[in-house]
Amino acid sequence: MVDIEKLNIAGVGGGGQGWSDLHNLAPYCNIVGICDVDDKRAEQSWNEFPSARRYRDFRKMLDKEDNNIDGVVVGTPDNTHAVIAMRAIKMGKHVYCEKPMAHDIYEVRRLTEEAKKAGVVTQLGTQIHAEEGLKQAVEILASGKIGKVKKVDLWSSNFCNFVPLASGEHDVPSTLDWDLWLGPAEFWPYNPSYVPYLWRQWWNFGSGILGDMGCHIFDIPFWAFGLEAPESIYASSTAVNKDVVCQASIIHYKFAATEKHDAVEINWYDGGIYPSMPDGMEADRKLPASGGLYYGEKGTLLSIHCGGARLVPETEMKSFVKPEPFLPRGMNHYQDWVEACKAGRKASSDFEYSGPLTETVLLGNIAVRTGKKLLWDSKNMKITNCEEANGYLRRQYRQGWNL
Amino acid sequence: MGSLFGASRSGKKISRRDFIKAGSAGVAAIGFPFIVSSSALGADGAVAASDRIALGFIGVGGQGFFNMKSFITNPAVQVVAVCDVNEESDYSKFYFGGTAGRKPVKAFADNYYAEKNNGSFKGVDEYVAYQDLIGRKDIDAVVIATPDHWHTLISIAAMRTGKNVYCEKPISHNVFEARWIAEEAKKAGVVTQMGNQGHAEEGARLLCEWIADGAIGNVHTVHIWCNRPGGMWEQGIDRPSDTPEVPKGLDWDKWVGPAKFRPYHSLYHPFMWRGWWDFGTGSLGDMGCHQMDAPYWALKLDAPVSIEASSTKVNDETAPLATKIHYKFGKRGDMCPVEMVWYDGGLKPARPEELEEGRELQSEGLLFVGDKGTILSEFNGGSPRIIPESKMREYKRPAKTIERSIGHREEFIAACQGKGKACSNFDYAGPLNEIVLLGNVAVRAGKKLLWDSANLKFSNCEESSKFIKEEYRQGYSL
Repeated sequence: MVDIEKLNIAGVGGGGQGWSDLHNLAPYCNIVGICDVDDKRAEQSWNEFPSARRYRDFRKMLDKEDNNIDGVVVGTPDNTHAVIAMRAIKMGKHVYCEKPMAHDIYEVRRLTEEAKKAGVVTQLGTQIHAEEGLKQAVEILASGKIGKVKKVDLWSSNFCNFVPLASGEHDVPSTLDWDLWLGPAEFWPYNPSYVPYLWRQWWNFGSGILGDMGCHIFDIPFWAFGLEAPESIYASSTAVNKDVVCQASIIHYKFAATEKHDAVEINWYDGGIYPSMPDGMEADRKLPASGGLYYGEKGTLLSIHCGGARLVPETEMKSFVKPEPFLPRGMNHYQDWVEACKAGRKASSDFEYSGPLTETVLLGNIAVRTGKKLLWDSKNMKITNCEEANGYLRRQYRQGWNL
Repeated sequence: MGSLFGASRSGKKISRRDFIKAGSAGVAAIGFPFIVSSSALGADGAVAASDRIALGFIGVGGQGFFNMKSFITNPAVQVVAVCDVNEESDYSKFYFGGTAGRKPVKAFADNYYAEKNNGSFKGVDEYVAYQDLIGRKDIDAVVIATPDHWHTLISIAAMRTGKNVYCEKPISHNVFEARWIAEEAKKAGVVTQMGNQGHAEEGARLLCEWIADGAIGNVHTVHIWCNRPGGMWEQGIDRPSDTPEVPKGLDWDKWVGPAKFRPYHSLYHPFMWRGWWDFGTGSLGDMGCHQMDAPYWALKLDAPVSIEASSTKVNDETAPLATKIHYKFGKRGDMCPVEMVWYDGGLKPARPEELEEGRELQSEGLLFVGDKGTILSEFNGGSPRIIPESKMREYKRPAKTIERSIGHREEFIAACQGKGKACSNFDYAGPLNEIVLLGNVAVRAGKKLLWDSANLKFSNCEESSKFIKEEYRQGYSL
C-alpha cells in the first residue's frame, strides 16, 4: 500500500548506515526501491522492507523508478556518494546523502552547484543537526553568551582500531559486485579489509576519522558563526601513507573575519588525541570521546557529541541562563528533509550549507597528506601555494564514470 | 682499601698504580689488558697507561658499540672489558647498521689497539654477567647501554663498587628509579653522566643564555615534537603469540633480567625493545631526555604540577603510536609558570605565526614561546633561532657566560681524572628523567594527574602508583 501523504523514495546502500537512514525515514516515506551491490549487507533492509523492489546498479534503479520516486537516499561508502547523488539531482530528485557529502572537494562543489541549479531539496546526513543539545550549543555561541570566540578545539576519538590489509589474493564473494562497489574509484583488487566495514581507513574509498566525524563536529561552529571557508589549513599526523589514512592527526584551520563572523581558529584532533583540558575544568572530569571546546572572552563552552553543552567549570553552568531558543524545533533530521521536500523549502542542512562544511572537513585531509600549510582560495577552488595539494582536490575517475 | 674507595668517592680515578698497591685480594677475574709499549708508558706525549681511565662497557649492542667507537679514540681512555648477555646480532636492518654484541665489539676494541700498537692485541676481556665486570677493581668507569629496564640496577650496582658511571638515557625505567639513582649517585660520590650528548653542545647553552637575557620575554609555553617511532620500531602492537627459539649466543633469561619473564621474540631483541613497556619507555623515553633537556635547563624546571596526556590506542604491552602530553610547571623563582607540550609519532604543534611562509617545522624540534617572541631550535636545542629570522638578526646576543664543554663523553672522562665536572650528572639528570617518565604514566593513566613530587605519588590517582615503581623479578633486587 502506497501512502500518498508520504514521500516515495529509493535507497542506495541497504546495510549499516544506509539501513539506518531508511529505517528512520520509513515513518515518513514509502520505500519503493533499495539498491545494493552487496546482497548480504542489503538483507538488513530487504528484510525490513520486503515490498521494496531490489536492485544492484543504482543507475538501473533510478531509470526504472524515475516515475515512482520523489527522492533518493545515498547511504554508500564515500567513494560513490557523488555519482549517485549527482545522477539523482540531475533527474530532479530530492536527495538525502550521508556525510561526508562526497569523497573529494571537486565533487562537493559540483553537487552544491547542481543541487542549487536543479532546485531540489537536499539534506546531508548529519542527523545530530536536529538534536536539542546541538541546537543549544549553537544558540549559546551565536547569542554571544560566552563572548567573542577566537579559538575552538574539536575532536573525535572514534574509530581508532586500524586493521592491516589482509594478505594474499582473495576471491570476490559471490554476493558482491566488486566493480560496482568501486564505482569511480581507482581499481583495487577485492580485499576483505575494504568491505564491508573498513573502507573508511583507505584514501581510495573513505576519508578517515575526520571524514567520518568531521561533518558532525564542525556543524556547531559552522552553524553558530556562519563559517564558509578557511583561509589556511596546517596539519601534522602519524605517518602519511598514499593508501591508508593516518591513525591520528592534529589539524589547524584559520578562518578570516567576514561580515558574518570574527576571525576564528579551529583545531581538530583525532585518533585518540585530545586538546588539553581547559583552565578551570575539574581535574577529575574527562573530555568526552567526541566534542568541542569553545573559548570565549566571557567563558568556555564544552559541547559533547550527542550529549548537549556545558559551561566549564560546572559551577558556571549552574548559574547560567540559557539564551532564548531561536532555532526551529520539533522535527528530527529525516522528518525535516521530508517536510522540506513537501513544502518546497530548504532542509536545515541542505547542500548550500553543508557543501562548504564538507569542503572544510576534506581540506583537513589534504593538509594531512601534504604536511604543509595550505592557503585556500575557496572562490576559485584552488590551493594557492602548493601544487601537490591541488592534486587532491579532484580524483581521476575510472573509465566509464563521470559526474 | 679505605683510601682507595675514598679516592673513588671523591670522583677520581682509581689509578692502576694505587690499585696494584692496594692489592687484588678478593677479586676473582682480573684482566691485564695492557701491552706495555713505549706509548703506553707515556712516551711521545701519550697519556701513560697508568693514568688512563680503565673503561668497561656493559651492553654493547647498537648504542653501546656506538659509544665505544667514540670513547676508544680518547687518549685518556683504555678500554679493558666488554659485557653483554648477547654474543652477536645483526643490526643491518636498524639505524646502527653492521653487527654488535660481545664478540664483534671485543674484536673491534682489540683490533683498534692492535693497529695502534702495530702488533697483535687480545687484551679486552669479555663477560656475560655485569657483576663480573663491575667486580673488577682495576676498572675506573663503566659505560652502560643496555635496554632501559636494566639501566638503574646496573648503574647503582656499579656505583656501589665505586665505579664512575656513564649511562644511556633514560637512566631509569620508571620515576622511582630516577629518584633512587640520583640518591645513590650522591651517596657514592662517583662521577656520573647521562648519555644525552646534546647537553654538551653549544645550542643548549645559547638557549639558556638568551632566555636568561630576556630574548623572548617570559617563556610560558614550550612545544617539543619528535617523529619517532616513525617506523624504526614497533609501537601500538600486542604481544606476539609465537615463541621462536632463542638465538644462539643470547642469554635470554639475563636479558629479561628484572622484568617479568616472557619467551624470546625478535620483536624485543635486537633493537626492538624500545616500544615495549616492560623493557623500554617508548618514543618519549628514547628522545625525551634529549629534547626536554634544554627546556629543563634554560627554564630551571622542577617537578611538574600536573601531567595530562592523550594518545592513539593505549595498551598494556607497548607505547602508543602517537602521543601528546601536557606538563604544567608552577612558578620557579621569578620565572612564570610554564606549559610544556610533548608530541610524538609525527604529531607537531601548530605552525607558529612568526614562521615565514615557505619555511616548515622540521620533523623534530623545540619551540620556546615567550611573551615577547619565539625561538625555534633543533631537537636537542641545537641551532636556536628567534623567529622570524629578521628578529634574530636584530637581536644583540648576550655574553657567553656558561662554560663550554670539551664534549659530552670527553668531560665524563676528564671528570673521572679529577678534572672538571660531568654536567649531565645524575643529580642533574634524575629530576629530568622523572619529568620525562611521568609523561608515560599519564599516557597509561588516561586522566590528568596531579603530581606530589615530595611523596612520589599522584594526589588524585592512587591506581597509577604501579607505574611509578615497578616490581623486580625475584632475584634481581639489589
